[in-house]
Amino acid sequence: MKRNLPAAELARDSRFSRVDFMERARDPRPMPSEGRGDRAALTPDRTNAPERARGLMHGIFTGEIQALEGAGRTCWDFPLGTGSDEAPFELKLDMARQCWDEARHCEISVKLGDWMGTEIGEFAESPFLYEAACNPDPVLRLTGVNRALEGLAIDVFNTMREFGRLSGDPVLTFCEDWMLADEVTHVKMGSDWLRRLTADDPDRRARALEFQRVVDKLFSLGGVRGEDEDSPIKLARRFRELAGFADEEIDEIAELSHQAREELRARRAAVG
Amino acid sequence: MSTVLPETFTMVLYDHDEIANAVDEVLGAIGFPPDEDVRVEVDEATPLARTKLVSVEPVVMTVDGGALEDPRRPRQLSTTFVSVVVGRLALQALDRRDADFGNPPADEDLPVARRVAWDVYAIGRLARLGYPGQRQRRLYNFRNRHGFTDAADAAFDHLWTADHLTWDEICAISDGALAARPDAD
Repeated sequence: MKRNLPAAELARDSRFSRVDFMERARDPRPMPSEGRGDRAALTPDRTNAPERARGLMHGIFTGEIQALEGAGRTCWDFPLGTGSDEAPFELKLDMARQCWDEARHCEISVKLGDWMGTEIGEFAESPFLYEAACNPDPVLRLTGVNRALEGLAIDVFNTMREFGRLSGDPVLTFCEDWMLADEVTHVKMGSDWLRRLTADDPDRRARALEFQRVVDKLFSLGGVRGEDEDSPIKLARRFRELAGFADEEIDEIAELSHQAREELRARRAAVG
Repeated sequence: MSTVLPETFTMVLYDHDEIANAVDEVLGAIGFPPDEDVRVEVDEATPLARTKLVSVEPVVMTVDGGALEDPRRPRQLSTTFVSVVVGRLALQALDRRDADFGNPPADEDLPVARRVAWDVYAIGRLARLGYPGQRQRRLYNFRNRHGFTDAADAAFDHLWTADHLTWDEICAISDGALAARPDAD
């Protein structure tokens, strides 16, 4: 079986339509981070809130598929060991457990899609999560995927759970609560393995944290995720603490999101 | 006969004639007077999905480009969405013209719950004409506005399957569902 499978070779049936970053970049309309999407908080009183929730949950669904594929790949792509191109058995065991969770999340997401009136493949799939899981260093994979992107998933699940609570949707609230609990575990795996595998290698730790910063900023979506009152996706500080983030690390993510938002405002002001 | 603007799209990969054909087809299907012009103004610069019935006589509607966009293929047209969006607005224009229907407030003054209820009534009629109504999607939107209750589901079914409702009846159905919400006063 091939090691380090590229995103283009992921198996999808005809229901799915993939859109990569470059295709989105070629879109001449303002990007989501530049005001294309609705940047208001996701609350039930917004006219388009249920539609936004459907699109967001389909994005989560495809993210769950890719998380399953990424964790599975990490079990396979590396020989056993503690080198920068190796993975300890216990790390693979954690990834196998994560596969189990992600497979369950896929099933939950399919049923949630049925509930919300969303068909599988109704929205385009962006393969960015899996692409972050293609890093040749397992520690960078775990910081990019488990700490950055699954950390973002914590923020999204928490936001969606609150949306479900406010709109009185018992199914959405219940599903988000259960998946959120698993995500905290996945992020904590990333935090734990980052510290264990780089305890005696500060350069590798620095590279991993830099990779995480790049992914965090890239997917802060122009500050859509943040701590402002009107942030569509709220930074879930408490759950991140439970997932092994130090206060200063959470502050840094909030600052990255704030920076992204200010950069967006500056770009929009420059455009006029 | 429809007038679709702009004539040429530069930011999205939409074809003017394809939209115009879909508009004419759905107008014919719902029984819109064939000698009347319907004007559809598409704002291609925005991927949002807002729609508005600007005028009833003559019928003029404004549509964000995103409302006609295939969610699986960014910047590509969905003729299905053209049919459903234009069909819904055209049916509501006909409702507004019908003296027996009643006198609903202007679109911008409609409470969200009542607007959603009216949309269900319109799209249910389109679905019976063979257009994809995405019933569960509409039900989810309706539940978000009227509560996740059996009463809300029954109200949805009433609206979805009805062919001749008045504005007062739509309001009564919507209000009845809202009154059954667990958090209703």
